[in-house]
Amino acid sequence: MICAETRKLIDAYVDNELDLRGALEVEEHIARCPACGAEERALRELQASARANLTRYSMSPELEARLRALLQVEEPPAPAASGNSSTARVARRALRAWKWAALAPLAAAAAVLFAVGPGLWPRRSEAVEDAVIAAHVRSLLANHLTDVASSDQHTVKPWFQGKLDYSVSVTDWAAEGFPLVGGRLDYVEDTPAAALVYKRAQHVINLFVWPSKGERASSDEPVRRLCRRGYCAYRWSKEGMRYWAVSDVNDADLKTFVELARREH
Amino acid sequence: MPGQVASFEQLVLPHMRAGYNLARWLLRNDHDAEDVMQEAMVRAFRFFDGFRGDNPRAWLLTVVRNSAYTFLQQNRARELGTEFDEEVHGEPASADRTEETPEVLLLRSAQQRSLNEAVEALPVEFREVFVLREMEGLSYKEIADLARIPIGTVMSRLSRARRQLQAAVGRRERGGSAS
Repeated sequence: MICAETRKLIDAYVDNELDLRGALEVEEHIARCPACGAEERALRELQASARANLTRYSMSPELEARLRALLQVEEPPAPAASGNSSTARVARRALRAWKWAALAPLAAAAAVLFAVGPGLWPRRSEAVEDAVIAAHVRSLLANHLTDVASSDQHTVKPWFQGKLDYSVSVTDWAAEGFPLVGGRLDYVEDTPAAALVYKRAQHVINLFVWPSKGERASSDEPVRRLCRRGYCAYRWSKEGMRYWAVSDVNDADLKTFVELARREH
Repeated sequence: MPGQVASFEQLVLPHMRAGYNLARWLLRNDHDAEDVMQEAMVRAFRFFDGFRGDNPRAWLLTVVRNSAYTFLQQNRARELGTEFDEEVHGEPASADRTEETPEVLLLRSAQQRSLNEAVEALPVEFREVFVLREMEGLSYKEIADLARIPIGTVMSRLSRARRQLQAAVGRRERGGSAS
């Protein structure tokens, strides 16, 4: 074996990734070639240094607690005094939604039918619905509610330009009790979606907007509603755009919001 | 489904710390790593039903890695796609790179940099392969599956990463090529 071949294989050699024959050939070469031998030693030195010196980053205790809280879904409700922080409560409630989404498809379909009755919620939208509710939950969980925090529609709208290949109209409904708090770039159906973020008292409403795809692109769809484990969603489509409003606010308020949004969108 | 939660807890949670370490190395700051880790754990929980393999650690690392790349695509797309594989040894990856590229920084102050800083300065695709190999001890095959690249690319990226690091930490003391 010559140096050029050895150099191609020497990383795999020090990583014990060569088969026996390859390893023997490399070994034989480096035993009699000082340059390749030096290369082998340098690589092993680097490996040892990496194992000894690279920082192993650890999670903050807060993050670890939050992540572990995400999984406590089966615990009976803890007494209020036992340190059941509001973060953990939010996380737990969110995880119930997640758990719901994680059910086997048949069970989920059956549950949806059970929840809203046949025909109201076509099966094809389940993936989208999961994605939208997931995006809503994520925005609450990850301290990432907004990318642009502003109650000024003239700040939020231009922020989306250049990030999306479609235009989104943004209106602040503070006067109607739904103040705009900002915007966020999200992903739904593998498509970048604008998430307009509103508040109603302490509740967050995410209004997702993205272009319709496929055969539904041309037809407007009327408003449909689904509530799932504390989160309600309304969706509609109009003029080639899809809209989903998601929140855990009470249904009457969300309906009012949807009517406002429908007038605009 | 208590059974599902228990097995997720047993199989996946023990690898959460390895997952965080990977996220932190790929994103290079705590704040983004925390966001990505949370997203990844929610995804992992959600898709756990689809997990059929026998290597929950590699599986979780894959979920974390994909979440990190999604984050980078959305927020720091410039950090991605820095290919300096076979054909372009030592050359900047593309013409539009500015002076502040990792490679330039790496070369500029090569001697002062500790290994940590040198690894941070690697393009993410190379940093990922190096960290998975040296910190997590994954095999080439596992890295290839995780990053969805051929084994040959794992080898060449790892090799490139190591040569860069050797140059950066000034330990490359061997003489000229004997071939």
